[in-house]
Amino acid sequence: MKTRRIIKVTFGALVVGTMIFGSGRFQTQAQQEQPVQSAAATAPVTDCFESREGYTAVTRVENVTPDGNPNVKCSPTTNGVLWWGDPFDGTVPMGDMPAFGPDDKTRGDYETEEAVVKPREPMLMYFNMEPTQNCAFCHNGQTVPFPTDKNPRLLAAHQDIVENSMQLMHGRAAFWCLDCHNATNRNKLIDHKGNEVSFNQPQQLCGKCHGEVYIDWRMGIHGKRIGSWTKGGKKRWWVCTECHNPHTVQVNRFQAIKPELAPALPKGMKDAAHEQHHGGGPAPAAGHGEAAPAKH
Amino acid sequence: MSTEEKKETEGTDISRRQFFKEAGAISAAVAAAAASSVIAPEEAEARTTFAEMFQKNYRLMTDEEKKEAIARLEQRHSEEYGKKVTVDGSPAIKDVLFGYALNIQKCIGCRRCVHACVKENNQSRHDPEIQWIRVIKMEKGNFTVDDMNKGYPANANESFGIQVGGNAYKNSGVALEGQHYYQPETVPEKDAFYFPIQCHQCEKPPCVKVCPVRTTYRDPDGIVVIDYNWCIGCRMCVAACPYWARRFNWGDPNLPAEEMNPNTHYLGNRPRMRGVVEKCTFCLQRTRKGRYTACLEVCPVGARKFGNLLDPESEVSKILDRKKVFRLKADMNTYPKFFYFID
Repeated sequence: MKTRRIIKVTFGALVVGTMIFGSGRFQTQAQQEQPVQSAAATAPVTDCFESREGYTAVTRVENVTPDGNPNVKCSPTTNGVLWWGDPFDGTVPMGDMPAFGPDDKTRGDYETEEAVVKPREPMLMYFNMEPTQNCAFCHNGQTVPFPTDKNPRLLAAHQDIVENSMQLMHGRAAFWCLDCHNATNRNKLIDHKGNEVSFNQPQQLCGKCHGEVYIDWRMGIHGKRIGSWTKGGKKRWWVCTECHNPHTVQVNRFQAIKPELAPALPKGMKDAAHEQHHGGGPAPAAGHGEAAPAKH
Repeated sequence: MSTEEKKETEGTDISRRQFFKEAGAISAAVAAAAASSVIAPEEAEARTTFAEMFQKNYRLMTDEEKKEAIARLEQRHSEEYGKKVTVDGSPAIKDVLFGYALNIQKCIGCRRCVHACVKENNQSRHDPEIQWIRVIKMEKGNFTVDDMNKGYPANANESFGIQVGGNAYKNSGVALEGQHYYQPETVPEKDAFYFPIQCHQCEKPPCVKVCPVRTTYRDPDGIVVIDYNWCIGCRMCVAACPYWARRFNWGDPNLPAEEMNPNTHYLGNRPRMRGVVEKCTFCLQRTRKGRYTACLEVCPVGARKFGNLLDPESEVSKILDRKKVFRLKADMNTYPKFFYFID
């Protein structure tokens, strides 16, 4: 690890020094490695993401909290958010959550406490291409005619979201776009009963089929919340689409992410090869020449 | 405290005070010799250091003494790090017993909790690098049908249905001991699961049992805390802990001022010194004020859950109620308040 770091630093210095070659990516790396050498050049990471890259982006703003902290602190290794100064930054009230019945045991504290979410709409690329009419700018019945049925057909656009619209993998291809997207009002989702659902409250749509997970989510067992743990305390809830992509959920269940750095090796340990092979005998010949320490 | 003991303490107190007086006089003389001004900053610092050196065990301090100790620390750390550092001394909240639950099925081994913890709790960044959470990569079990009759004892007919699925030469189940230093391009890796370990805040903590100076103890909200000033660095607790939760400051901690978190607690994340032991405190500087722990807030998969075990409506209580839960090394009778669960 240490050698890799040194290489990075040297390479970073090279890029900064010459400023001739290297893509933007390496330049950012150089900026991140700079703090190691001089504290004056400390540039905190400002472009961050929350749970997964590409799902929720967040920009670091200094001096947001009363005690002078930024809204988030991010990892220089992965750009993932590592620390929330203000857990409710950019959130809106979650809205109502209808009870399952009069004796709804899954009704949690959100009846009495403040529950907020980060709106999803600002994170959607196509939604924000046109600031006032959003999706309806194109999907207005004229530019793009309203579809007449829900049968799968090849799409002329949005291949970046669904590569092959004839094989949309959600519900093992039993579902198609218009089972969730409102055909006549594309700024909203639609459930199986024809109720319009906002992009900001996807749980009201997903929960219609994924009942078991939805119950766990309502009780706080599934999913993520930050803020106050106390009964009646304010919490920010993560909604379904902040972690799951409904379009690729069966093809690529989760987008794998880059891990943070491993802990430093103990003094005197050259590498961690000993923990990577079975049996406690000598390390495989292809790996490192030394024999692993004997195991008890 | 019996009268005899009291007398004894008073006795030591007096001798300490005398020693303090003499030492103070010497340092004052040195300071006066060094700089002709009456109150040199060195003297103030020396006074603080001496007062800190001879303060009582935090648990035995009166409220006033606690306040003094906290004020001393706030002043010293504010000067040291060049920003306003607050040291909180808030006690355990009444009717609260903290519990933690971790969904072992969901953890992807990204180590964000590890680094969030470091950011929050002012650990030494390098030399020594101290991290309170360890994420261990485990191989998925390899129990196969071929191992069915290879259990010990060798004769399956005499095993009375006991099947261990391995023998002295080939063990089944998890084969590797667990990898600490894994560094793949992306996580989660195929055929691996990840096991984060931190302080389990035991109800019967072996570390507390062995501490010869009783500087580590369990607070009423279930958090095992350390008064760093009273720690003698004998590392008995490190050896006693079955969860490998305690870390020792082998050298002066390296904590850059710009990375220092100024919201601290006396028993929690205030800057430590060389030669003391530290460990996870469930971020008591946050949780005693109602906020979730730092590791929970950054978990990108929502595997970490935290709450009040005494409240049946809390997230943790609901998990214990409904999910398959296990405790690590339950056979040690430590009654940890850290639970692992699966959906």
